Amino acid sequence: MNRDLAVETDGLKKRYGDLTALAGVSLSIEAGEIFALLGPNGAGKTTWISIVCGLVRASAGHARVLGHDVVRDPIAARKLVGLVPQEVNFDPFFTPREVLSFQMGYYGQRPDSARIDEVLRALDLQAKADTNTRALSGGMKRRLLIGKALVHRPRVVFLDEPTAGVDVALRRDLWSYVRRLRQEGTTIVLTTHYLEEAEALADRVAVIDHGQLVGLDTTAALLARFGNKQIRVRLTAPVARVGEPSSAALPSLPDWLKELGATVDVSGHVVTCPLGGMATAALLARLGSLQPAVADIDTEQPSLEQVFLALTGTTGASPAKAPQ
Amino acid sequence: MNAIGFRTLFTKETRRFLRVPGQTLAQPIVTTALYFLVFGYALGGRVREVDGVSYIRFIVPGLMLLGLSQNAFLNTSSSMFIAKMQGTIVDLLVAPLGVVDLLLAYILAAILRGVMVGGIVWVISALFTGFSVSHPLWVLLFGVLVGATFGLVGLAVAIWSDKFEQLNIVPTFIITPLTFLGGVFYSANMLPPPWSYVSRVNPVLYMVEGLRYGVVGTSSSSPWLGLAVTGGIGLVSLAIAAWMLRTGYKLRS
Repeated sequence: MNRDLAVETDGLKKRYGDLTALAGVSLSIEAGEIFALLGPNGAGKTTWISIVCGLVRASAGHARVLGHDVVRDPIAARKLVGLVPQEVNFDPFFTPREVLSFQMGYYGQRPDSARIDEVLRALDLQAKADTNTRALSGGMKRRLLIGKALVHRPRVVFLDEPTAGVDVALRRDLWSYVRRLRQEGTTIVLTTHYLEEAEALADRVAVIDHGQLVGLDTTAALLARFGNKQIRVRLTAPVARVGEPSSAALPSLPDWLKELGATVDVSGHVVTCPLGGMATAALLARLGSLQPAVADIDTEQPSLEQVFLALTGTTGASPAKAPQ
Repeated sequence: MNAIGFRTLFTKETRRFLRVPGQTLAQPIVTTALYFLVFGYALGGRVREVDGVSYIRFIVPGLMLLGLSQNAFLNTSSSMFIAKMQGTIVDLLVAPLGVVDLLLAYILAAILRGVMVGGIVWVISALFTGFSVSHPLWVLLFGVLVGATFGLVGLAVAIWSDKFEQLNIVPTFIITPLTFLGGVFYSANMLPPPWSYVSRVNPVLYMVEGLRYGVVGTSSSSPWLGLAVTGGIGLVSLAIAAWMLRTGYKLRS
Protein backbone atom coordinates (compact mmCIF):
# COMPACT_ATOMS: atom_id res chain seq x y z
CA MET A 1 0.00 0.00 0.00
CA ASN A 2 1.44 3.37 -0.99
CA ARG A 3 -0.24 6.51 0.28
CA ASP A 4 1.52 8.64 -2.37
CA LEU A 5 -0.51 6.85 -4.98
CA ALA A 6 -3.87 8.38 -5.73
CA VAL A 7 -5.22 5.15 -7.20
CA GLU A 8 -3.77 1.68 -7.09
CA THR A 9 -5.29 -1.48 -8.52
CA ASP A 10 -3.78 -4.95 -8.24
CA GLY A 11 -4.91 -7.70 -10.59
CA LEU A 12 -8.37 -6.25 -10.92
CA LYS A 13 -10.71 -8.72 -12.57
CA LYS A 14 -14.38 -8.57 -13.43
CA ARG A 15 -16.42 -11.32 -15.00
CA TYR A 16 -20.08 -11.17 -16.02
CA GLY A 17 -20.92 -14.84 -16.54
CA ASP A 18 -18.73 -15.98 -19.43
CA LEU A 19 -17.73 -12.46 -20.36
CA THR A 20 -14.46 -11.17 -18.96
CA ALA A 21 -14.67 -7.39 -18.73
CA LEU A 22 -11.36 -6.99 -16.89
CA ALA A 23 -8.67 -9.65 -16.95
CA GLY A 24 -6.35 -8.55 -14.16
CA VAL A 25 -5.49 -4.89 -14.54
CA SER A 26 -2.78 -3.49 -12.26
CA LEU A 27 -2.31 0.26 -12.39
CA SER A 28 -0.72 2.84 -10.14
CA ILE A 29 -1.70 6.49 -10.57
CA GLU A 30 0.37 9.05 -8.74
CA ALA A 31 -1.18 11.86 -6.79
CA GLY A 32 -1.43 15.04 -8.83
CA GLU A 33 -1.15 13.57 -12.30
CA ILE A 34 -3.56 13.59 -15.21
CA PHE A 35 -3.95 10.02 -16.31
CA ALA A 36 -5.80 8.92 -19.44
CA LEU A 37 -7.32 5.51 -20.01
CA LEU A 38 -7.71 4.67 -23.66
CA GLY A 39 -9.23 1.67 -25.34
CA PRO A 40 -11.84 0.61 -27.87
CA ASN A 41 -15.49 0.37 -26.87
CA GLY A 42 -16.00 -2.48 -24.41
CA ALA A 43 -12.29 -2.63 -23.55
CA GLY A 44 -12.99 -2.39 -19.81
CA LYS A 45 -12.21 1.27 -19.09
CA THR A 46 -15.58 2.08 -17.53
CA THR A 47 -15.56 -1.20 -15.58
CA TRP A 48 -12.18 -0.27 -14.10
CA ILE A 49 -13.41 3.19 -13.08
CA SER A 50 -16.68 1.76 -11.74
CA ILE A 51 -14.82 -0.68 -9.49
CA VAL A 52 -12.56 2.04 -8.12
CA CYS A 53 -15.59 4.27 -7.46
CA GLY A 54 -17.53 1.44 -5.78
CA LEU A 55 -20.23 1.06 -8.42
CA VAL A 56 -19.09 -2.39 -9.50
CA ARG A 57 -17.69 -5.17 -7.33
CA ALA A 58 -14.49 -6.78 -8.57
CA SER A 59 -14.43 -10.55 -9.10
CA ALA A 60 -10.81 -10.55 -7.92
CA GLY A 61 -8.05 -8.11 -7.08
CA HIS A 62 -7.91 -4.95 -5.03
CA ALA A 63 -8.46 -1.25 -5.61
CA ARG A 64 -7.32 1.56 -3.32
CA VAL A 65 -7.88 5.30 -3.38
CA LEU A 66 -5.16 7.22 -1.52
CA GLY A 67 -4.48 4.07 0.48
CA HIS A 68 -8.11 3.27 1.32
CA ASP A 69 -9.36 -0.08 0.06
CA VAL A 70 -12.64 0.50 -1.82
CA VAL A 71 -14.19 -2.69 -0.38
CA ARG A 72 -12.84 -2.78 3.18
CA ASP A 73 -12.94 0.97 3.76
CA PRO A 74 -15.52 2.19 1.23
CA ILE A 75 -16.73 5.34 2.97
CA ALA A 76 -13.20 6.73 3.43
CA ALA A 77 -12.36 5.90 -0.18
CA ARG A 78 -15.55 7.46 -1.58
CA LYS A 79 -15.05 10.68 0.38
CA LEU A 80 -11.99 11.34 -1.75
CA VAL A 81 -13.46 10.82 -5.21
CA GLY A 82 -15.69 12.59 -7.68
CA LEU A 83 -17.09 10.79 -10.70
CA VAL A 84 -18.41 12.05 -14.01
CA PRO A 85 -20.26 8.97 -15.30
CA GLN A 86 -20.43 8.20 -18.98
CA GLU A 87 -24.23 8.28 -19.14
CA VAL A 88 -25.86 11.67 -18.73
CA ASN A 89 -28.28 11.71 -15.83
CA PHE A 90 -30.38 14.44 -14.27
CA ASP A 91 -32.90 14.78 -11.49
CA PRO A 92 -36.08 16.23 -12.98
CA PHE A 93 -37.28 17.71 -9.70
CA PHE A 94 -34.44 20.14 -9.03
CA THR A 95 -32.37 23.02 -10.36
CA PRO A 96 -28.59 22.89 -11.01
CA ARG A 97 -28.01 25.00 -7.89
CA GLU A 98 -30.01 22.57 -5.74
CA VAL A 99 -28.34 19.55 -7.33
CA LEU A 100 -24.87 20.93 -6.54
CA SER A 101 -25.95 21.81 -3.02
CA PHE A 102 -27.22 18.26 -2.44
CA GLN A 103 -24.01 16.87 -3.86
CA MET A 104 -21.92 18.83 -1.32
CA GLY A 105 -24.18 17.55 1.44
CA TYR A 106 -23.80 13.91 0.41
CA TYR A 107 -20.06 14.36 0.91
CA GLY A 108 -20.58 15.69 4.42
CA GLN A 109 -20.03 19.34 3.47
CA ARG A 110 -22.40 22.15 4.32
CA PRO A 111 -23.76 23.83 1.19
CA ASP A 112 -21.45 26.69 0.25
CA SER A 113 -23.09 29.13 -2.14
CA ALA A 114 -19.76 30.77 -3.05
CA ARG A 115 -18.34 27.38 -4.08
CA ILE A 116 -21.51 26.48 -5.96
CA ASP A 117 -21.40 29.80 -7.83
CA GLU A 118 -17.75 29.22 -8.65
CA VAL A 119 -18.54 25.82 -10.19
CA LEU A 120 -21.58 27.16 -12.05
CA ARG A 121 -19.43 29.98 -13.44
CA ALA A 122 -16.60 27.64 -14.46
CA LEU A 123 -19.06 25.45 -16.34
CA ASP A 124 -20.98 28.35 -17.88
CA LEU A 125 -24.21 27.31 -16.15
CA GLN A 126 -24.93 30.51 -14.22
CA ALA A 127 -27.76 31.56 -16.51
CA LYS A 128 -29.53 28.25 -15.88
CA ALA A 129 -28.64 27.92 -12.19
CA ASP A 130 -32.23 28.22 -11.01
CA THR A 131 -33.95 26.53 -13.95
CA ASN A 132 -35.27 23.00 -13.66
CA THR A 133 -32.68 20.53 -14.98
CA ARG A 134 -35.30 19.20 -17.42
CA ALA A 135 -34.91 22.47 -19.34
CA LEU A 136 -31.15 22.08 -19.83
CA SER A 137 -29.71 21.12 -23.21
CA GLY A 138 -27.72 17.88 -23.56
CA GLY A 139 -24.42 19.74 -23.31
CA MET A 140 -25.59 21.63 -20.24
CA LYS A 141 -26.65 18.40 -18.54
CA ARG A 142 -23.19 16.98 -19.20
CA ARG A 143 -21.60 20.12 -17.75
CA LEU A 144 -23.77 19.77 -14.67
CA LEU A 145 -22.48 16.20 -14.30
CA ILE A 146 -18.96 17.59 -14.27
CA GLY A 147 -20.01 20.16 -11.69
CA LYS A 148 -21.46 17.44 -9.48
CA ALA A 149 -18.18 15.55 -9.60
CA LEU A 150 -16.14 18.62 -8.67
CA VAL A 151 -18.23 20.72 -6.30
CA HIS A 152 -17.09 18.92 -3.15
CA ARG A 153 -13.41 19.39 -4.09
CA PRO A 154 -12.48 15.70 -4.40
CA ARG A 155 -8.81 14.75 -4.36
CA VAL A 156 -9.27 12.26 -7.19
CA VAL A 157 -11.63 12.97 -10.07
CA PHE A 158 -12.73 10.30 -12.52
CA LEU A 159 -13.97 11.64 -15.83
CA ASP A 160 -15.56 8.93 -17.94
CA GLU A 161 -15.91 10.47 -21.40
CA PRO A 162 -16.34 13.96 -19.93
CA THR A 163 -16.54 15.96 -23.13
CA ALA A 164 -18.67 13.71 -25.34
CA GLY A 165 -21.29 15.92 -26.94
CA VAL A 166 -19.76 19.13 -25.62
CA ASP A 167 -19.00 21.88 -28.13
CA VAL A 168 -15.45 22.86 -29.05
CA ALA A 169 -15.28 26.13 -27.12
CA LEU A 170 -16.51 24.54 -23.93
CA ARG A 171 -14.23 21.56 -24.45
CA ARG A 172 -11.25 23.93 -24.44
CA ASP A 173 -12.59 25.65 -21.32
CA LEU A 174 -12.95 22.30 -19.61
CA TRP A 175 -9.40 21.35 -20.52
CA SER A 176 -8.20 24.58 -18.92
CA TYR A 177 -10.29 23.80 -15.86
CA VAL A 178 -8.85 20.29 -15.64
CA ARG A 179 -5.32 21.69 -15.84
CA ARG A 180 -6.18 24.19 -13.12
CA LEU A 181 -7.49 21.40 -10.92
CA ARG A 182 -4.23 19.54 -11.39
CA GLN A 183 -2.29 22.66 -10.39
CA GLU A 184 -4.36 22.70 -7.21
CA GLY A 185 -3.23 19.14 -6.52
CA THR A 186 -6.23 17.17 -7.78
CA THR A 187 -5.54 13.86 -9.48
CA ILE A 188 -7.48 13.43 -12.71
CA VAL A 189 -8.26 10.08 -14.30
CA LEU A 190 -10.07 10.33 -17.59
CA THR A 191 -11.28 8.05 -20.31
CA THR A 192 -11.90 9.61 -23.64
CA HIS A 193 -12.70 8.73 -27.20
CA TYR A 194 -10.95 11.87 -28.33
CA LEU A 195 -7.28 10.95 -28.57
CA GLU A 196 -6.59 14.62 -29.12
CA GLU A 197 -7.95 15.17 -25.61
CA ALA A 198 -5.60 12.63 -24.06
CA GLU A 199 -2.66 14.11 -25.99
CA ALA A 200 -3.53 17.60 -24.84
CA LEU A 201 -4.06 16.75 -21.18
CA ALA A 202 -2.52 13.51 -20.00
CA ASP A 203 0.83 13.08 -18.29
CA ARG A 204 0.51 9.34 -18.66
CA VAL A 205 -1.63 7.08 -20.78
CA ALA A 206 -2.79 3.50 -20.24
CA VAL A 207 -4.22 1.56 -23.15
CA ILE A 208 -6.69 -1.20 -22.29
CA ASP A 209 -7.90 -3.76 -24.78
CA HIS A 210 -10.11 -6.79 -24.13
CA GLY A 211 -9.85 -6.17 -20.40
CA GLN A 212 -6.06 -6.17 -20.38
CA LEU A 213 -3.48 -3.46 -20.05
CA VAL A 214 -1.57 -3.36 -23.36
CA GLY A 215 0.35 -0.12 -22.93
CA LEU A 216 1.33 2.21 -20.12
CA ASP A 217 3.77 5.08 -20.16
CA THR A 218 4.09 8.83 -20.30
CA THR A 219 2.34 10.31 -23.30
CA ALA A 220 5.68 11.47 -24.71
CA ALA A 221 7.29 8.03 -24.32
CA LEU A 222 4.36 6.27 -25.98
CA LEU A 223 4.45 8.72 -28.87
CA ALA A 224 8.19 8.25 -29.26
CA ARG A 225 7.90 4.46 -29.15
CA PHE A 226 4.79 3.83 -31.23
CA GLY A 227 4.07 7.12 -33.00
CA ASN A 228 5.59 7.82 -36.40
CA LYS A 229 6.35 11.19 -37.83
CA GLN A 230 5.26 10.96 -41.45
CA ILE A 231 5.78 12.98 -44.56
CA ARG A 232 2.99 13.26 -47.11
CA VAL A 233 3.81 14.14 -50.71
CA ARG A 234 1.36 15.14 -53.42
CA LEU A 235 2.66 14.35 -56.91
CA THR A 236 1.94 16.17 -60.16
CA ALA A 237 0.95 12.85 -61.81
CA PRO A 238 -0.18 9.51 -60.43
CA VAL A 239 2.08 6.53 -59.69
CA ALA A 240 1.27 2.84 -59.28
CA ARG A 241 0.27 1.71 -55.80
CA VAL A 242 2.90 -0.33 -53.98
CA GLY A 243 2.61 -4.00 -54.97
CA GLU A 244 0.60 -3.27 -58.09
CA PRO A 245 2.00 -3.43 -61.68
CA SER A 246 3.42 -0.25 -63.17
CA SER A 247 3.18 1.11 -66.73
CA ALA A 248 4.39 4.05 -68.77
CA ALA A 249 1.35 6.03 -67.66
CA LEU A 250 1.57 4.79 -64.09
CA PRO A 251 5.26 4.53 -63.10
CA SER A 252 6.39 2.74 -59.98
CA LEU A 253 7.79 4.48 -56.88
CA PRO A 254 11.58 4.25 -56.65
CA ASP A 255 12.84 1.30 -54.58
CA TRP A 256 14.48 3.49 -51.87
CA LEU A 257 11.07 5.04 -51.12
CA LYS A 258 9.42 1.63 -50.99
CA GLU A 259 12.12 0.42 -48.61
CA LEU A 260 11.27 3.27 -46.26
CA GLY A 261 7.72 1.90 -46.11
CA ALA A 262 6.01 4.47 -48.33
CA THR A 263 2.44 3.88 -49.42
CA VAL A 264 0.37 5.34 -52.23
CA ASP A 265 -3.27 6.29 -51.84
CA VAL A 266 -6.07 5.13 -54.16
CA SER A 267 -5.77 8.18 -56.42
CA GLY A 268 -2.07 7.47 -57.01
CA HIS A 269 -1.26 11.10 -56.28
CA VAL A 270 -0.49 10.99 -52.54
CA VAL A 271 2.55 9.17 -51.15
CA THR A 272 2.84 8.77 -47.39
CA CYS A 273 6.23 7.86 -45.96
CA PRO A 274 7.23 7.30 -42.33
CA LEU A 275 10.35 9.21 -41.46
CA GLY A 276 11.71 6.50 -39.21
CA GLY A 277 15.30 7.39 -38.33
CA MET A 278 15.84 9.45 -41.47
CA ALA A 279 16.36 13.19 -41.14
CA THR A 280 13.62 15.26 -42.76
CA ALA A 281 16.16 17.33 -44.71
CA ALA A 282 17.78 14.21 -46.21
CA LEU A 283 14.42 12.88 -47.34
CA LEU A 284 13.41 16.21 -48.82
CA ALA A 285 16.68 16.34 -50.80
CA ARG A 286 16.01 12.95 -52.35
CA LEU A 287 12.38 13.82 -53.07
CA GLY A 288 13.62 16.72 -55.25
CA SER A 289 14.64 14.26 -57.95
CA LEU A 290 11.42 12.27 -57.80
CA GLN A 291 9.48 11.68 -61.04
CA PRO A 292 6.63 12.56 -61.35
CA ALA A 293 7.56 15.81 -59.65
CA VAL A 294 6.42 16.82 -56.18
CA ALA A 295 3.55 19.32 -56.13
CA ASP A 296 3.14 19.70 -52.35
CA ILE A 297 4.58 18.36 -49.10
CA ASP A 298 3.35 18.28 -45.53
CA THR A 299 4.42 16.45 -42.38
CA GLU A 300 2.29 14.72 -39.77
CA GLN A 301 3.36 14.62 -36.12
CA PRO A 302 3.18 11.34 -34.18
CA SER A 303 -0.25 10.90 -32.66
CA LEU A 304 -1.87 8.80 -29.99
CA GLU A 305 -4.04 7.40 -32.75
CA GLN A 306 -0.92 5.67 -34.11
CA VAL A 307 -0.09 4.43 -30.61
CA PHE A 308 -3.63 3.23 -30.18
CA LEU A 309 -3.55 1.50 -33.56
CA ALA A 310 -0.21 -0.14 -32.83
CA LEU A 311 -1.33 -1.45 -29.43
CA THR A 312 -4.88 -2.52 -30.16
CA GLY A 313 -4.83 -3.13 -33.89
CA THR A 314 -7.87 -0.93 -34.27
CA THR A 315 -8.78 2.70 -34.31
CA GLY A 316 -11.87 1.58 -32.37
CA ALA A 317 -14.64 4.12 -32.35
CA SER A 318 -12.09 6.71 -31.42
CA PRO A 319 -11.69 9.55 -33.86
CA ALA A 320 -8.27 11.11 -33.63
CA LYS A 321 -9.71 14.57 -33.53
CA ALA A 322 -12.60 15.94 -31.62
CA PRO A 323 -15.39 17.17 -33.87
CA GLN A 324 -14.85 20.78 -34.82
CA MET B 1 -22.57 8.18 10.32
CA ASN B 2 -22.53 10.98 7.73
CA ALA B 3 -24.96 13.34 9.54
CA ILE B 4 -24.86 16.09 6.91
CA GLY B 5 -25.21 13.51 4.15
CA PHE B 6 -28.24 11.94 5.82
CA ARG B 7 -29.87 15.36 6.42
CA THR B 8 -29.22 16.35 2.82
CA LEU B 9 -30.84 13.22 1.42
CA PHE B 10 -33.79 13.59 3.81
CA THR B 11 -34.22 17.23 2.71
CA LYS B 12 -34.04 16.22 -0.93
CA GLU B 13 -36.57 13.39 -0.50
CA THR B 14 -38.94 15.72 1.34
CA ARG B 15 -38.56 18.57 -1.13
CA ARG B 16 -39.18 16.12 -3.95
CA PHE B 17 -42.72 15.30 -2.85
CA LEU B 18 -43.50 18.84 -1.70
CA ARG B 19 -42.52 20.11 -5.15
CA VAL B 20 -45.40 18.23 -6.77
CA PRO B 21 -48.14 18.73 -4.13
CA GLY B 22 -50.94 18.10 -6.61
CA GLN B 23 -49.65 14.59 -7.19
CA THR B 24 -48.30 13.75 -3.77
CA LEU B 25 -50.70 15.49 -1.37
CA ALA B 26 -53.84 16.75 -3.11
CA GLN B 27 -54.53 13.62 -5.17
CA PRO B 28 -54.62 11.19 -2.21
CA ILE B 29 -56.64 13.69 -0.23
CA VAL B 30 -59.30 13.93 -2.95
CA THR B 31 -59.35 10.13 -3.31
CA THR B 32 -59.75 9.43 0.37
CA ALA B 33 -62.26 12.24 0.77
CA LEU B 34 -64.33 10.58 -1.96
CA TYR B 35 -64.10 7.23 -0.14
CA PHE B 36 -65.21 8.99 2.98
CA LEU B 37 -68.18 10.66 1.34
CA VAL B 38 -69.34 7.66 -0.70
CA PHE B 39 -68.77 4.89 1.86
CA GLY B 40 -69.45 7.02 4.89
CA TYR B 41 -72.71 8.44 3.67
CA ALA B 42 -73.97 5.76 1.27
CA LEU B 43 -73.22 2.85 3.59
CA GLY B 44 -73.44 4.86 6.76
CA GLY B 45 -77.17 5.15 6.26
CA ARG B 46 -77.57 1.36 6.38
CA VAL B 47 -74.80 0.42 8.81
CA ARG B 48 -75.43 2.92 11.53
CA GLU B 49 -73.00 1.59 14.10
CA VAL B 50 -70.01 -0.79 14.22
CA ASP B 51 -68.53 -1.96 17.54
CA GLY B 52 -70.43 0.84 19.28
CA VAL B 53 -69.08 3.60 17.00
CA SER B 54 -70.99 5.44 14.28
CA TYR B 55 -70.04 3.99 10.89
CA ILE B 56 -68.89 7.31 9.53
CA ARG B 57 -66.46 7.67 12.43
CA PHE B 58 -65.54 3.97 12.27
CA ILE B 59 -64.05 4.25 8.76
CA VAL B 60 -61.88 7.31 9.48
CA PRO B 61 -58.83 5.36 10.81
CA GLY B 62 -59.00 2.97 7.86
CA LEU B 63 -59.04 5.85 5.39
CA MET B 64 -56.14 7.45 7.25
CA LEU B 65 -54.19 4.20 6.99
CA LEU B 66 -55.05 3.90 3.28
CA GLY B 67 -53.54 7.33 2.56
CA LEU B 68 -50.66 6.86 4.98
CA SER B 69 -49.54 3.46 3.68
CA GLN B 70 -49.92 4.27 -0.02
CA ASN B 71 -48.01 7.52 0.26
CA ALA B 72 -45.22 6.15 2.41
CA PHE B 73 -44.82 3.32 -0.11
CA LEU B 74 -44.93 5.66 -3.09
CA ASN B 75 -42.42 8.09 -1.65
CA THR B 76 -39.60 5.59 -1.41
CA SER B 77 -40.57 3.39 -4.35
CA SER B 78 -40.96 6.21 -6.88
CA SER B 79 -37.85 8.03 -5.72
CA MET B 80 -35.62 4.97 -5.77
CA PHE B 81 -37.05 3.64 -9.04
CA ILE B 82 -36.74 7.01 -10.81
CA ALA B 83 -33.16 7.32 -9.53
CA LYS B 84 -32.39 3.88 -10.97
CA MET B 85 -34.05 4.65 -14.30
CA GLN B 86 -32.57 8.16 -14.64
CA GLY B 87 -29.15 7.01 -13.48
CA THR B 88 -28.98 9.52 -10.61
CA ILE B 89 -28.63 6.58 -8.19
CA VAL B 90 -24.93 6.84 -9.10
CA ASP B 91 -24.78 10.04 -7.04
CA LEU B 92 -25.76 8.14 -3.91
CA LEU B 93 -23.73 5.03 -4.63
CA VAL B 94 -20.47 6.90 -5.19
CA ALA B 95 -21.02 9.29 -2.25
CA PRO B 96 -19.81 8.41 1.26
CA LEU B 97 -23.30 7.53 2.46
CA GLY B 98 -23.61 4.41 4.59
CA VAL B 99 -26.54 2.03 4.82
CA VAL B 100 -27.82 3.76 7.97
CA ASP B 101 -27.66 7.21 6.33
CA LEU B 102 -29.59 6.01 3.30
CA LEU B 103 -32.20 4.06 5.26
CA LEU B 104 -32.87 6.82 7.78
CA ALA B 105 -33.25 9.50 5.11
CA TYR B 106 -35.60 7.43 2.95
CA ILE B 107 -37.67 6.16 5.90
CA LEU B 108 -38.08 9.53 7.61
CA ALA B 109 -39.17 11.20 4.36
CA ALA B 110 -41.67 8.36 3.78
CA ILE B 111 -43.02 8.72 7.33
CA LEU B 112 -43.34 12.47 6.91
CA ARG B 113 -45.30 12.19 3.66
CA GLY B 114 -47.46 9.34 5.00
CA VAL B 115 -48.23 11.11 8.26
CA MET B 116 -48.95 14.38 6.42
CA VAL B 117 -51.48 12.67 4.15
CA GLY B 118 -52.96 10.64 7.03
CA GLY B 119 -53.20 13.81 9.08
CA ILE B 120 -54.92 15.77 6.32
CA VAL B 121 -57.38 12.91 5.79
CA TRP B 122 -58.15 13.03 9.51
CA VAL B 123 -58.70 16.81 9.40
CA ILE B 124 -61.12 16.49 6.46
CA SER B 125 -62.94 13.63 8.20
CA ALA B 126 -63.03 15.49 11.48
CA LEU B 127 -65.02 18.26 9.81
CA PHE B 128 -67.84 15.69 9.60
CA THR B 129 -67.19 13.58 12.69
CA GLY B 130 -65.66 15.96 15.22
CA PHE B 131 -62.04 16.57 16.22
CA SER B 132 -61.76 14.21 19.17
CA VAL B 133 -58.93 11.65 19.30
CA SER B 134 -59.10 8.98 22.00
CA HIS B 135 -55.41 8.05 22.28
CA PRO B 136 -53.19 10.55 20.41
CA LEU B 137 -49.93 8.78 21.30
CA TRP B 138 -51.18 5.51 19.85
CA VAL B 139 -52.18 7.36 16.69
CA LEU B 140 -48.74 8.90 16.42
CA LEU B 141 -47.02 5.59 17.17
CA PHE B 142 -49.02 3.68 14.55
CA GLY B 143 -48.64 6.53 12.06
CA VAL B 144 -44.86 6.45 12.37
CA LEU B 145 -44.60 2.65 12.43
CA VAL B 146 -46.93 2.08 9.49
CA GLY B 147 -45.22 4.86 7.52
CA ALA B 148 -41.78 3.37 8.21
CA THR B 149 -42.92 -0.16 7.32
CA PHE B 150 -44.53 0.78 4.01
CA GLY B 151 -41.63 3.12 3.24
CA LEU B 152 -39.24 0.20 3.70
CA VAL B 153 -41.39 -2.10 1.59
CA GLY B 154 -41.45 0.56 -1.14
CA LEU B 155 -37.69 0.92 -1.01
CA ALA B 156 -37.12 -2.83 -1.26
CA VAL B 157 -39.64 -3.24 -4.09
CA ALA B 158 -38.05 -0.37 -6.07
CA ILE B 159 -34.56 -1.83 -5.68
CA TRP B 160 -35.84 -5.22 -6.81
CA SER B 161 -37.86 -3.87 -9.77
CA ASP B 162 -36.29 -3.60 -13.20
CA LYS B 163 -39.38 -2.17 -14.89
CA PHE B 164 -42.51 -0.23 -14.01
CA GLU B 165 -44.65 -3.35 -14.29
CA GLN B 166 -42.74 -5.02 -11.48
CA LEU B 167 -42.91 -1.86 -9.39
CA ASN B 168 -46.71 -1.99 -9.59
CA ILE B 169 -47.07 -5.69 -8.74
CA VAL B 170 -46.72 -5.27 -4.98
CA PRO B 171 -49.09 -2.30 -4.49
CA THR B 172 -51.67 -3.64 -6.95
CA PHE B 173 -51.73 -7.30 -6.00
CA ILE B 174 -50.64 -7.27 -2.38
CA ILE B 175 -50.91 -3.95 -0.58
CA THR B 176 -54.23 -2.70 -1.98
CA PRO B 177 -56.13 -6.01 -1.54
CA LEU B 178 -54.72 -6.49 1.97
CA THR B 179 -55.66 -2.92 2.88
CA PHE B 180 -59.22 -3.18 1.54
CA LEU B 181 -59.64 -6.57 3.21
CA GLY B 182 -57.98 -5.27 6.36
CA GLY B 183 -61.06 -3.85 8.00
CA VAL B 184 -60.90 -0.36 6.50
CA PHE B 185 -64.64 -0.38 5.81
CA TYR B 186 -65.81 -3.16 8.14
CA SER B 187 -65.04 -4.85 11.43
CA ALA B 188 -63.65 -8.38 11.39
CA ASN B 189 -66.41 -9.15 13.91
CA MET B 190 -69.00 -8.48 11.17
CA LEU B 191 -67.77 -11.41 9.03
CA PRO B 192 -69.14 -14.92 9.59
CA PRO B 193 -66.73 -17.82 10.22
CA PRO B 194 -64.52 -18.90 8.49
CA TRP B 195 -64.01 -15.44 6.91
CA SER B 196 -63.58 -13.73 10.23
CA TYR B 197 -60.67 -16.13 10.92
CA VAL B 198 -59.21 -15.68 7.42
CA SER B 199 -59.45 -11.95 7.87
CA ARG B 200 -57.36 -12.21 11.01
CA VAL B 201 -54.41 -13.63 9.05
CA ASN B 202 -54.16 -10.28 7.26
CA PRO B 203 -51.47 -8.20 9.00
CA VAL B 204 -52.94 -4.92 7.72
CA LEU B 205 -56.04 -5.63 9.85
CA TYR B 206 -53.96 -5.15 12.98
CA MET B 207 -52.51 -1.89 11.69
CA VAL B 208 -56.01 -0.58 10.97
CA GLU B 209 -57.30 -1.78 14.33
CA GLY B 210 -54.34 -0.25 16.12
CA LEU B 211 -54.95 3.10 14.47
CA ARG B 212 -58.68 2.71 15.14
CA TYR B 213 -57.98 2.19 18.81
CA GLY B 214 -56.00 5.40 18.83
CA VAL B 215 -58.56 7.48 16.94
CA VAL B 216 -61.95 6.19 18.15
CA GLY B 217 -60.91 4.31 21.31
CA THR B 218 -62.27 0.91 20.31
CA SER B 219 -60.99 -1.95 18.15
CA SER B 220 -61.68 -5.61 17.47
CA SER B 221 -58.14 -6.59 18.55
CA SER B 222 -55.65 -5.36 21.12
CA PRO B 223 -53.54 -2.39 20.03
CA TRP B 224 -50.56 -4.18 21.56
CA LEU B 225 -51.10 -7.03 19.09
CA GLY B 226 -51.25 -4.42 16.35
CA LEU B 227 -48.00 -2.94 17.61
CA ALA B 228 -46.32 -6.36 17.64
CA VAL B 229 -47.51 -7.23 14.12
CA THR B 230 -46.60 -3.84 12.66
CA GLY B 231 -43.25 -3.85 14.45
CA GLY B 232 -42.54 -7.39 13.26
CA ILE B 233 -43.29 -6.61 9.62
CA GLY B 234 -41.34 -3.38 9.95
CA LEU B 235 -38.29 -5.24 11.26
CA VAL B 236 -38.45 -7.84 8.47
CA SER B 237 -38.76 -5.04 5.88
CA LEU B 238 -35.88 -3.21 7.53
CA ALA B 239 -33.71 -6.32 7.40
CA ILE B 240 -34.47 -6.88 3.70
CA ALA B 241 -33.91 -3.23 2.69
CA ALA B 242 -30.70 -3.01 4.75
CA TRP B 243 -29.41 -6.25 3.20
CA MET B 244 -30.13 -4.90 -0.29
CA LEU B 245 -28.26 -1.66 0.39
CA ARG B 246 -25.37 -3.37 2.17
CA THR B 247 -24.79 -5.98 -0.53
CA GLY B 248 -25.62 -3.64 -3.40
CA TYR B 249 -28.33 -6.04 -4.63
CA LYS B 250 -29.37 -4.82 -8.11
CA LEU B 251 -27.58 -1.54 -7.38
CA ARG B 252 -23.90 -2.40 -7.64
CA SER B 253 -23.16 -5.02 -10.31
